[in-house]
Amino acid sequence: MKTTSTRTARRASALGPGLVVLGAVLALVAFLSITQGSRSIGLGEVLAALGSMHGDGTITSTVTLDLRVPRTLLGVLVGAALGVAGAVLQGVTRNPLADAGIMGVNAGAAAFVVLAVTVLGVRGVGVSVWFAFAGAIVAIVLVYAVASMGREGATPVKLALAGAAATAGFGSVTTGIVMTNIDALNELRFWQVGSLAGRYAPVLLGVAPFLVVALVVALGFGRALNGLALGEDTARGLGLRVARTRAAAFVVVAVLAGAATAACGPIVFVGLVVPHVARFLCGPDYRWVLPYSMLLGPVVLLLADVLGRVAGAPGELQVGVVLGVLGAPAFIGIVRRGRLSEV
Amino acid sequence: MRVWRSVLAVAALGVALAGCGAEAPSSGGAAPEASGPWSFTSGSGEVVTAERVPTRIIAHAGEAAALMSFGIRPVGIYADEAVTTDPNLKDLDLSGIEILGEEWGKIDVEKAASLRPDLIVGDWWPAEKAYSGLEEGVDEKSKKLAELAPVVGVSQGKSIVELAEGYEDLAESLGAKVDDPRIAANKQRFEESVARFKEAVAAKPGLTVLAMSPADDMVYVANPEYAPELLDLQSWGLQVINPDSPDPGFPYWENLSWENADKYQPDLILWDGRSFTPTANAEWGAKQPTWFQISAAGAGAVAAWPAYWLHTYGHFATELDKLSEAVTAANADIGT
Repeated sequence: MKTTSTRTARRASALGPGLVVLGAVLALVAFLSITQGSRSIGLGEVLAALGSMHGDGTITSTVTLDLRVPRTLLGVLVGAALGVAGAVLQGVTRNPLADAGIMGVNAGAAAFVVLAVTVLGVRGVGVSVWFAFAGAIVAIVLVYAVASMGREGATPVKLALAGAAATAGFGSVTTGIVMTNIDALNELRFWQVGSLAGRYAPVLLGVAPFLVVALVVALGFGRALNGLALGEDTARGLGLRVARTRAAAFVVVAVLAGAATAACGPIVFVGLVVPHVARFLCGPDYRWVLPYSMLLGPVVLLLADVLGRVAGAPGELQVGVVLGVLGAPAFIGIVRRGRLSEV
Repeated sequence: MRVWRSVLAVAALGVALAGCGAEAPSSGGAAPEASGPWSFTSGSGEVVTAERVPTRIIAHAGEAAALMSFGIRPVGIYADEAVTTDPNLKDLDLSGIEILGEEWGKIDVEKAASLRPDLIVGDWWPAEKAYSGLEEGVDEKSKKLAELAPVVGVSQGKSIVELAEGYEDLAESLGAKVDDPRIAANKQRFEESVARFKEAVAAKPGLTVLAMSPADDMVYVANPEYAPELLDLQSWGLQVINPDSPDPGFPYWENLSWENADKYQPDLILWDGRSFTPTANAEWGAKQPTWFQISAAGAGAVAAWPAYWLHTYGHFATELDKLSEAVTAANADIGT
């Protein structure tokens, strides 16, 4: 017993500094994201543009300040949101394969985007972002409400089933509209590939408040998720209000995943894989899994984005495509290591 | 905003256009007399024959417009967009003609069958080895159209003029009187437009143009080699810039990230006509921080380019006149 507790204590004492190291890694990746891209700009010019902090009308300063800085900040926020949302969902549903996608978030957002086009004639990323957000929230609320019916409340199995049903339902709405309305198809085509490109300050400023608040709130869920991880009965025995905790966690996930999906389209693998990597680094304690996921998410997302920008020059590969290609082998690797059982 | 239309157009046309740029059309008409046995050498090289001259024709949008310009009226038309907006069809009287589809890749074959067609007409795309409406990627159900009647079409090649001539041959084989004075008048108008265009271009030595289609996550630069109308413009003296690294898997365009939007600096931007509006330039300038870094965009030097749809002398003449005006109004010192 003594050795175990000493090891745990030692390990815990390393987690704080580990978080700092991870923060430094994120800063480095963010620096890469601002200095590297599909256009090659000298480091000196980038730093000069950053130093002046206001555009001087040259292409290098426009690219740096108006394209890369907002893109990087959006990547940090969205990556953090996806990582944390995935961790919270995996904890609250005790489903190691949970991510926002299985709760119908992407399907709901897509359905609302095409509805906005057909019913309201709305076009363009600046407006459709709000419809996507609303669709994601509606999907999660619907899934949670359906799963909550019945005496035992929103159990993980019922949540997964309701999520699958909602995904199918929204999916058929989307398909039905897209089949008959070419403008809706056009809108969806761009939105359907997760990307950080083409979204500038307005989109960033629009979703940032939601994401920042939800991230701060989410960090406070560590202890409750630890309780839920022990099983409902034990959690109840420990004095946790299971139903209320679960509902609160879902609100947070809805905001995080909804805003992230709205801003960038469906981005796969970050929400699924990042919490597993976090657990691999820091163990199963959610008080650490959440902040680790929050830093790992943007590291993964920005690295994939930089890769797609450099590899795709003079065009770009969308980050959703890069993650799809790289994420699958990474996920198989995780499964093969058997880390999934530790949720 | 019709922001996404060009993205779709890029993708949809990509499939549709995956063939142009190979051999020049080699079609030629036969049997000038109606009613007797009929044959036509299609763009595919196949000689299609029939016991009598086809009269119940189903045609794809632009091809239908081409036939109608010679007085051959199809019984059914399938288009890639609403016939009220399709540039080939919007100004035509389509009363009495069944509309069998208004979206790329979707044809109502059941309705088509009820028309009892004896000929299907669609452009032949050499690299795809397929006719318009029957390409890779369309609805499997749509492809059954080919089972209703023989399919013929002129090959999409290096010039709209050759395409128009090919359809003149086809129309003639179908019994059209191609010496009708109105047809001659259209051709005459086209010749005059070409002459005016050459003159306008000659008056602007050093003028360079770039054919572009901006989209929300990328800027697309057209590769003239796969756009017959741009090849025509080049052959008449206009310096249409050839992008140096078209997408290898999709050579109709070079893809530029918005960071690289200013890679080329033309004096005049030819804007994909499917997404062009009079306010488009201002809108894109407000939306995309680097759009106005293209000097021509900043100076408002933009004009619509009839992208990938021309089939007739008449349409080409009208579009050429607009382009001549744009060239005349252009300033050859904007770009570099």
